[in-house]
Amino acid sequence: MSTIRTVDLEKTYSDNGVPVHALRGVSIEVEEGEFTVIAGPSGSGKTTLLNMIGALDTPTRGKVFLDGEDISELNRNELGELRLKKIGFVFQAYNLIPVLSALENIEFTMMLAGVPEKERHERAFAAMEKLHIAELAKKRPNEMSGGQQQRVAVARAVVNNPTIILADEPTANLDSETGADLLDMMETMNREHNITFIFSSHDPQVIDRARRLLILKDGKIAEDRR
Amino acid sequence: MLLKLAWRNIWRNSRRSILVLISAIVGLIAILLYESLSMGMIHQMLGNQIGSHVTHIQIHKNGFNDNKIIQNNIADAQEITAALDSENRIKHYSERVLSYGILSSASSASGILLAGVVPDQEAQVTIIKQSLEEGRYLSGEKHEIVIGQKLAEKLEVGLGDKVVAMASSLDGDIGSDVFRVVGIYRTFSSDFDRVHGFVALENLQEMLDFGTRISEVAILLENANASQSVASILKETLGDRYEVLPYQELLPLLVMQVDVSRQAMFVFYAIIGIAMIFGIINTMLMSVLERIQEFGVLMAVGMKNRRLFNMVLLEALLLGITGTIIGLILGYLCYLPLATNGMDLRNFSDGLGALGIGAIIYPELTPQSVVNAALIVPIFSVLGAIYPAIRAVRLNPISAIRHV
Ligand SMILES: Nc1ncnc2c1ncn2[C@@H]1O[C@H](COP(=O)(O)OP(=O)(O)OP(=O)(O)O)[C@@H](O)[C@H]1O
Ligand SMILES: [Mg+2]
Repeated sequence: MSTIRTVDLEKTYSDNGVPVHALRGVSIEVEEGEFTVIAGPSGSGKTTLLNMIGALDTPTRGKVFLDGEDISELNRNELGELRLKKIGFVFQAYNLIPVLSALENIEFTMMLAGVPEKERHERAFAAMEKLHIAELAKKRPNEMSGGQQQRVAVARAVVNNPTIILADEPTANLDSETGADLLDMMETMNREHNITFIFSSHDPQVIDRARRLLILKDGKIAEDRR
Repeated sequence: MLLKLAWRNIWRNSRRSILVLISAIVGLIAILLYESLSMGMIHQMLGNQIGSHVTHIQIHKNGFNDNKIIQNNIADAQEITAALDSENRIKHYSERVLSYGILSSASSASGILLAGVVPDQEAQVTIIKQSLEEGRYLSGEKHEIVIGQKLAEKLEVGLGDKVVAMASSLDGDIGSDVFRVVGIYRTFSSDFDRVHGFVALENLQEMLDFGTRISEVAILLENANASQSVASILKETLGDRYEVLPYQELLPLLVMQVDVSRQAMFVFYAIIGIAMIFGIINTMLMSVLERIQEFGVLMAVGMKNRRLFNMVLLEALLLGITGTIIGLILGYLCYLPLATNGMDLRNFSDGLGALGIGAIIYPELTPQSVVNAALIVPIFSVLGAIYPAIRAVRLNPISAIRHV
């Protein structure tokens, strides 16, 4: 059974009454442990697709199955619960809560999930050690570089043991070296812990590392390469 | 953790939060001082009235309070005093004969209320003896009178001077007698001092052909709060030939003023509460709108609406509680010196004298008013945060994340 399956996914936004077809029938399957990159020109629907998979938004038509469960019909609260339990997000920037330290940011989602204080402390520390960011524990986001912030965001995504981690252009705001470090880290997580990753990116160095590449054009899958 | 988060969020824009805090603090200090002063003032007025003449409970022949004529008198005082002696919450009582009349000196005359009292008894229930400015109190001898300072001034008499009192006696004739001024007193109320003269009980009974009748028994209790319950017990024992009136019924205007002032406090609370609501709406709304992107991330990582809503309310609540703590402490610090030294209103004391208050007001802070003041700001803060919190949870996570 695939971890993720979309069936004829369509999303139509309305831009001041004018319909914008962001997705026009996307059917993909992503297996557990895949390291997938969604590429494509700007406006092709990459973010929209990630948002559907990530239960942030509901499709206009079609279905999304996560671990076999149809998530297209869930309400706002149920979607929130699902995101909390099964999905880790890394956005392009400003992922972290500014008033919390790195450690507290990582603990935050576990707190939402009801993990007891002692355990979440241990798990957050363990994740930071593994990702070599333990020295950032006490720093607030504004005391960290963009790359460090993204690493903390990955740690936060990983620590709740999600089914899948979605990263929307995680390297877009980083220089290529920092971006490469971040990718190294995510690759390691993928290889050693079999965590499923899906990226969206224009960044050639991200695309190079993809073990599966989906290319979107005008809201449709134009290419699916392994 | 949510608490920590909310607390830190408050201080992200510290200037804005401090402004809200200051408005809460100033409001609270104003509430505490206003409430304690007005309560202190009314209680002082009440205390002065009770202490100078009214006492806690009065017993008369039925109808006397509405129509203070000497025909409404108590023929058998013993029946009453026997009942009083068996009630142990009563500290002291004083038997009085009261009559309106005219007091004249060589130069002037004035209408007064003549009170015939047993000096030992009366000195136990009122402060007239302690309020003497000149001379001495009644000894019980005939032809002695103690009058108020304002009356002495009006009649242009001093210690040792003679005055003549006239009043209609029980059988309708004019009774009169000559008195020598032995003492001049001054209470907090110039009105009181202008009309009250005290003579020996038997002296007045004789002058009015009263026999052994009296007009009233004035009762001082151990504890003023028992006035109504003791009065109702006495009423039962004495039957309906007599009226037994606690001070609440004797001073209805003052007692009403306590209520009015309580209601005025609620208006005050409402004003401060509404000001607080708008301050909080403004502050929290700005703070929510500044954090749209962040709320988007919070929602994306799975923070539920209810939690987000609570977080915004919690921020307002913490702000309110902080303001309350500081406001109460500062308010109390302002109140303490006033409560011990009193607030000196000597500049206005002519007007206050007419009202029956002293020149110095001692504010009174009751636990009830502290509790009220402590609740007001946090409650209205939370109310004010509801709309901003609704705005926060109405955000769509996707557009919120894209928001810059
Ligand atoms: N909330 C929205 N309302 C209206 N139109 C939208 C909305 N979100 C996306 N769109 C439109 O849908 C289309 C796909 O957008 P999407 O953000 O998914 O593209 P993308 O591939 O992520 O682009 P980029 O590489 O620039 O991030 C675009 O034409 C975009 O303008
Ligand atoms: Mg995008």
